[in-house]
Amino acid sequence: MSETYDFLFKFLVIGSAGTGKSCLLHQFIENKFKQDSNHTIGVEFGSRVVNVGGKTVKLQIWDTAGQERFRSVTRSYYRGAAGALLVYDITSRETYNTLTNWLADARTLASPNIVIILCGNKKDLDADREVTFLEASRFAQENELMFLETSALTGENVEEAFLKCARTILNKIDSGELDPERMGSGIQYGDTSLRQLRQPRATTTQNKQQCNC
Amino acid sequence: MFLFSVPFNNRSVSELLLNSKFDVNYAFGRVKRSLLHIAANCGSVECLVLLLKRGANPNYQDISGCTPLHLAARNGQKKCMAKLLEYNADVNICNNEGLTAIHWLAVNGRTELLHDLVQHVSNVDVEDAMGQTALHVACQNGHKTTVLCLLDSGADINRPNVSGATPLYFACSHGQRDTAQILLSRGAKYLADKSGITPLDLCVQGGYGETCEILIQHHGRLFQTLIQMTQNEDIKENMLRQVLEHVSQQSDSHYHKILISLAEVATTNGHKLLSLSSSYEAQMKSLLRIVRIFCHVFRLGPSSPNNGNDMGYNGNKTPRSQVFKPLELLWHSLDEWLVLIFKELERNRKNPSSSTSSTEIASLLLKQRESDHSDTTSKLSSLLDHQIVMEEAYADGDDVISMTANRLSAVIQAFYMCCSCQMPQGMTSPRFIEFVCKHDEVLKCFVTRNPKIIFDHFHFLLECPELMSRFMHIIKGQPFKDRSEWFYEHLLAGQPNSDMVHRPVNESDILLIHRDSIFRSSCEMVSKSTNEKLKQGIAVRFHGEEGMGQGVVREWFDILSNEIINPDYALFTQSADGTTFQPNSNSSVNPDHLNYFQFAGHILGLALYHRQLVNIYFTRSFYKHILGIPVNYQDVSSIDPEYAKNLQWILDNDISDLGLELSFSVETDVFGAMEEVPLKPGGSSILVTQDNKEEYVQLVTELRMTRAIQPQINAFLQGFHTFIPPSLIQLFDEYELELLLSGMPEIDVEDWCRNTEYTGGYDPQDPVIQVGASSFCFMAAVKN
Repeated sequence: MSETYDFLFKFLVIGSAGTGKSCLLHQFIENKFKQDSNHTIGVEFGSRVVNVGGKTVKLQIWDTAGQERFRSVTRSYYRGAAGALLVYDITSRETYNTLTNWLADARTLASPNIVIILCGNKKDLDADREVTFLEASRFAQENELMFLETSALTGENVEEAFLKCARTILNKIDSGELDPERMGSGIQYGDTSLRQLRQPRATTTQNKQQCNC
Repeated sequence: MFLFSVPFNNRSVSELLLNSKFDVNYAFGRVKRSLLHIAANCGSVECLVLLLKRGANPNYQDISGCTPLHLAARNGQKKCMAKLLEYNADVNICNNEGLTAIHWLAVNGRTELLHDLVQHVSNVDVEDAMGQTALHVACQNGHKTTVLCLLDSGADINRPNVSGATPLYFACSHGQRDTAQILLSRGAKYLADKSGITPLDLCVQGGYGETCEILIQHHGRLFQTLIQMTQNEDIKENMLRQVLEHVSQQSDSHYHKILISLAEVATTNGHKLLSLSSSYEAQMKSLLRIVRIFCHVFRLGPSSPNNGNDMGYNGNKTPRSQVFKPLELLWHSLDEWLVLIFKELERNRKNPSSSTSSTEIASLLLKQRESDHSDTTSKLSSLLDHQIVMEEAYADGDDVISMTANRLSAVIQAFYMCCSCQMPQGMTSPRFIEFVCKHDEVLKCFVTRNPKIIFDHFHFLLECPELMSRFMHIIKGQPFKDRSEWFYEHLLAGQPNSDMVHRPVNESDILLIHRDSIFRSSCEMVSKSTNEKLKQGIAVRFHGEEGMGQGVVREWFDILSNEIINPDYALFTQSADGTTFQPNSNSSVNPDHLNYFQFAGHILGLALYHRQLVNIYFTRSFYKHILGIPVNYQDVSSIDPEYAKNLQWILDNDISDLGLELSFSVETDVFGAMEEVPLKPGGSSILVTQDNKEEYVQLVTELRMTRAIQPQINAFLQGFHTFIPPSLIQLFDEYELELLLSGMPEIDVEDWCRNTEYTGGYDPQDPVIQVGASSFCFMAAVKN
């Protein structure tokens, strides 16, 4: 009846207006480029179940409006996010310059453990490029962000961006750096008991022991 | 044949058997049973042994395929079963439905017999036609020892039947808690059936809280699944609530965990509702359902009884209000949204033509860009492009409001529910009042644009008069129909099965009324019953009469209301034209009059509650009193038109030189004796002048219409309000209240004629009909 997954991660997509945040999300969920995309009003929502390193993870993605007038509304969605895609437009230095503001917002409002990946979108418009790959990757390194250049039009690196972010979160959970049980972690356990129980009995009892604690 | 008429005993059988010609395996009757079947069925061991000794076939099958062993097993004939087994009865024979003896024992939970039988059975997992084993049926019926016995005999604990249902599935589908417990502790797998329905689904569908709890105990992750089910609109809310209630009562930590999880789900749902691309209907319903369940479970309180009452701390010394924490995210977003809308409103107000002007600018810029093709200006053009984007975006301020109003209002409703479940019943949370005040302008804007929002989401208004007053003018502007629907919806809210019209009536709840003392016996019966019972439904029976049902109830209200205005009781006086009534200022002639008024209010409230019309029309001013609206001098005309005219004259004319010598006091007639009543302290020495005449008129009006009958009004309202909360009745004006209480005072004959269906060969031109219609018209004209 309900879809099964091991984890649910809450993701944010943030960045200035017109950088293609909604198109990235659309490409990720529908595998299509979103023509005639309008400005997002407030915050939109999308979800997809992906397979990362043998685990099924449901990504619950909140796509925020980039426009300044929605800023206070979108800020109220930051808390309890496990991961974020910070998006700028490689053909617009303006959107690159505001990254520090967005980053500051994310660092102060979201959980300190939030995993952020920087996405230089509109990679397909290389002719109009205003921000070089090198420059952005240096910025990413300085701020401890992962970095990818993406194209919501062609779909290049879109899936990778989301998966990379999810994978990092999973690694942090495995290493104990992230505690999914903590409130506001943006991570929830899913209902995978069905699948686990179909495995041989030995593992079932093991799981049961885990559950009982 | 005498076998069937004479009690089955071994003497007759042995006599019969002496006759050597008799076929011991002869099949009798329609079902083709042998004597051995009959002996096994009845448990007649001696006969059974005799028959077996004579060579009766122990495996003979009747028309349904049952052997004597089946019948012995079904009826629990222990000795017969043992003997049949001794004579090599085959335990593995299936009847036509595929049932074996072991199935029969399992169905009825005959563990002791089962114990004996399993020694002879080659396969305890023998399946019936539906692929069900004995374990399936034992689980379904919750026979604990039988289940244990079968499991000990090696029954397959996870055996699926033809539709993939396991024994655990069967136990859950029937809410067999203990059986489920046994299965789970023996390591039963948690498996869905072939259509994906899980044991948990079944428990929730059936509202089996205890079984659910057992499932969660063994499979911790099911807890989240259970919580997620609140989002599934296919699951019945009351069943799910029942289950969550039960699980929350297991321990303080269960309580806490359930509420926190529900709050988290509600928050995600609320945020989804605020996403404009989501379905408003679905998300709104889902959010409100989750919040309803959340509030319900919260109100129940944690299981430990020592802190049941105070809203403070549970056993772990963590505040109970902690569970609301996840929701704070949603309330924060809601707040930010409303602030945003306020800014949009302000901008629209400052710059009402912004939308047109910005599109003009945009088109201008577009033209400019079209004419610019050189590369050097491409940067400029992209800058302009950005400009256009900004302008366009700001043009849709109006859209943002209209697109979000519904969604935000639903979240406000959820917010209200969460705020008020932390408050004692009937009190509005200060936080919510503060919230409404803060966003006053935005909320007013929402409801002015779409008044439906009030009826859909702003239920808090009905529970909070101070907030209601802010919106009253908008509400009063809505059609009567919408308001009366809202009124009844809330009046009946919280009544179990308020949708059920014909509820079976408990004999002791019937009001038994004596026709010759309607007033007294009604008073007695109603005071004996409880308000809750009266709200659930009224059933009336007149002493010595058979009649029951809605017709009798209607008649009771009808004649009782006639009794209430009966001049013999002196409770109500007639208006000048004799058609309307109001409390009699001299009713105190009856020392018990205030109790009578309270009873009258009780009955009127009850009638309104059950949508029964009464046969009393009150004066305009009395309706105003019920509504709490102040009266004015024109209302006097209904009881004393002459006096009202005088008052009107005083107001209309300059009285300074007339020498009326009126003072601020009035002489009233109390049963023949004249008494002087001052209108205000020392009134008899204050003269009425041109300057203070308006005050005089108002005070005189209040005296005649209100003060003189204030105790009566208060008593009446006290009774009335037991069924009709004052905040609800406020929705109407005095004319509408009359319509609700008493129906249309006049019959519209034309409308009646227009909407009459003629049957039985009559038509509108028929002389009989013509005469009838014209006489109605005549009577109506005379009445007017």
